[in-house]
Amino acid sequence: MISIAAETTSDERLITVILFGVLIAVTLGITVWASRQTKSATDFHSGGRGFSGIQNGFAIGGDYMSAASFLGIAGMIALFGYDGFLYSIGFLVAWLVALLLVAELLRNSGRFTMTDVVSYRMKQRPVRTAGSVSTLTVSIFYLLAQMVGAGALVALLLGIEEGETYLGMSADTAKIVGIVVVGLLMITYVSFGGMTGTTWVQIVKAVMLMGGALLVALLVLSIYDFNFGSLMNDAAEASGAGNAFLEPGQRYGVEVAGDAWQTMVNKLDLISLGLALVLGTAGLPHILIRFYTVPDSKTARKSVNWAIGLIGTFYLLTLILGFGAAALVGRDAIVAQNSAGNTAAPQLAEEVGQHFGGDFLGAVMLALIAAVAFATILSTVAGLTIASSSSLAHDFYNAVLRGGKASEQEEVRVARFAAIGVGAVSIVLAVFAQDLNVAFLVALAFAIAASANLPVILLSLFWKRFNTRGAVAGIYGGLISSVGLVIFSPVVSGKVDAEGNNLALLPKSIDISWFPLENPGLVSIPLGLLCAVIGTLMSNESEPERFAKLQVRALTGAGAERATKH
Amino acid sequence: MTTHSAPDSSEPPQPAERGDPPPAVAAEADLEARSAAMHADPRFDELRRRLLRFVVPASIAFFAWYLLYVLMSAYARGVMSTEVVGSANIALFFGLLQFVTTFGIAILYSRYANRRYDPLADELRDELEGQPAVPGARKGDDA
Repeated sequence: MISIAAETTSDERLITVILFGVLIAVTLGITVWASRQTKSATDFHSGGRGFSGIQNGFAIGGDYMSAASFLGIAGMIALFGYDGFLYSIGFLVAWLVALLLVAELLRNSGRFTMTDVVSYRMKQRPVRTAGSVSTLTVSIFYLLAQMVGAGALVALLLGIEEGETYLGMSADTAKIVGIVVVGLLMITYVSFGGMTGTTWVQIVKAVMLMGGALLVALLVLSIYDFNFGSLMNDAAEASGAGNAFLEPGQRYGVEVAGDAWQTMVNKLDLISLGLALVLGTAGLPHILIRFYTVPDSKTARKSVNWAIGLIGTFYLLTLILGFGAAALVGRDAIVAQNSAGNTAAPQLAEEVGQHFGGDFLGAVMLALIAAVAFATILSTVAGLTIASSSSLAHDFYNAVLRGGKASEQEEVRVARFAAIGVGAVSIVLAVFAQDLNVAFLVALAFAIAASANLPVILLSLFWKRFNTRGAVAGIYGGLISSVGLVIFSPVVSGKVDAEGNNLALLPKSIDISWFPLENPGLVSIPLGLLCAVIGTLMSNESEPERFAKLQVRALTGAGAERATKH
Repeated sequence: MTTHSAPDSSEPPQPAERGDPPPAVAAEADLEARSAAMHADPRFDELRRRLLRFVVPASIAFFAWYLLYVLMSAYARGVMSTEVVGSANIALFFGLLQFVTTFGIAILYSRYANRRYDPLADELRDELEGQPAVPGARKGDDA
């Protein structure tokens, strides 16, 4: 059994720091190159729409497979077995919504943001404002979860223990330095490199992530002579849970003996989470804007197919990594390092490295996977930042404040500053939130996307009667219900473990919880849809001709935005 | 990648069809009018029908299939924990089947769209936009 912190030597740290440095240098090089390509608004928001299907497919993968996917799911499988796998399946199946219902139609009928499509036949100001508010809320929540995670991760990956210093940094300082460095890098990628820079950072990350995961998975399997069954048995045995490790119920929908109410709540929570995961992806603004970076809707379809292939393969590899960590690293060593299991994958890399090549190879493998994890964080936060800055500049500044009269140069300039602003706000929030348990924000971002964004996107494309009041009610209704329910849920207050330790966001003395589920989707998704329908019926506004144009554009691609780069 | 300094994108590069207003604006307005008219065209009805005929049943199917999986993970744990081969249980196979169906639907949809949807969509789009003035000015159909 090993533990990173206990055995981290300065050599290992040196390799890790050097790889981090190389990664930063490469991505900054990409940014400098990309900044020379970025002149028009189309260049900044959509990378000139010149990416191929395979390039965009990798970029989507790079955008989507966040640290929560990579480290979080591998860790969840390592600690809870089957339920981590269950979680990853929601993340994958969700892509069918994007493929069948959203990607192509959005590409054909919008320019830069999801709000372009929703507002097409509506009053611009209220709908653009609502779309921008929703985009910013989803992106900043998601961003916060990633950045707080990044701070903790940098400290962990450098293996700095409490009371110890490295390069003059204590573990606490290293956390803050991690957050600030990640924040500054994402601001730089986005404000200078725009969508072109962000996309290439995401492609590099996706290649690194797939390569790293494949390498470690193959090494794990080779230890077991490529017999997945014996890996599974070993994992189940080492977990201490036995066969239950291979069955649902260790983490989600937990059955509490003698407490029928809590058991029912836990099971409904699982269903609620499943709904948010499967319906949220196709409403995430940073995913939606990726469909605009390709020349046409057919390429958008191809890129989603590539993304499905990559993401699916990756989650299959994650299953091997999670079981491998459970079997080879062991639950105790993982929990000792991070109670959520976030370091299971790097710990596994070190373990298999040592198995095949002693301490040196172990150190190299650890540094390699740490660099992959770092790249994973950087590319996802860059995607979230550009989604926020594009929406602020295009939807809010240009359409709402300037009535659509801002010049391209002006819009791009505002977008660059918006990226700096969003980045600065995120850094400050993340530093303050660094000791809070904010992992729930990822699931919340999916729930908001599923409740506020997806219904209005689909209704605007397919429901003739849909109008301004419906869109505004749908967006705010979904947004407020999902955020509101979480505020009064056990994740924010009133949750304690068996020993009475506080597991909620707020201090133990405050308890405002009355909504029993941790995931609001089961209630907020139908509520968001209902608000959109009722809002529509309460207004007489109707634009049948604009609807006809929108649908013809969306389905045929006539008048769709062209690529400016080839 | 090389950069062409193309003009802002919202106007497709088309020959002017009327003399008075700036050509691009006229072409755009013209396209808008023709798009609105196209909505009533029986061929557009057919196009929409072809899209919905695949995506509606496929969406219902994958959603129901996924929901069944989640519901069984919550409420049918006895069934899910039944071992099939060695310690590999139904839960594992059901999960893996979700991957298979996801890949499968994506492949079927792409084949369907290539064969049944794209040709008609392209035909209507070309008609709406008018024939390209220069060969190759079209967006990358073959990409």
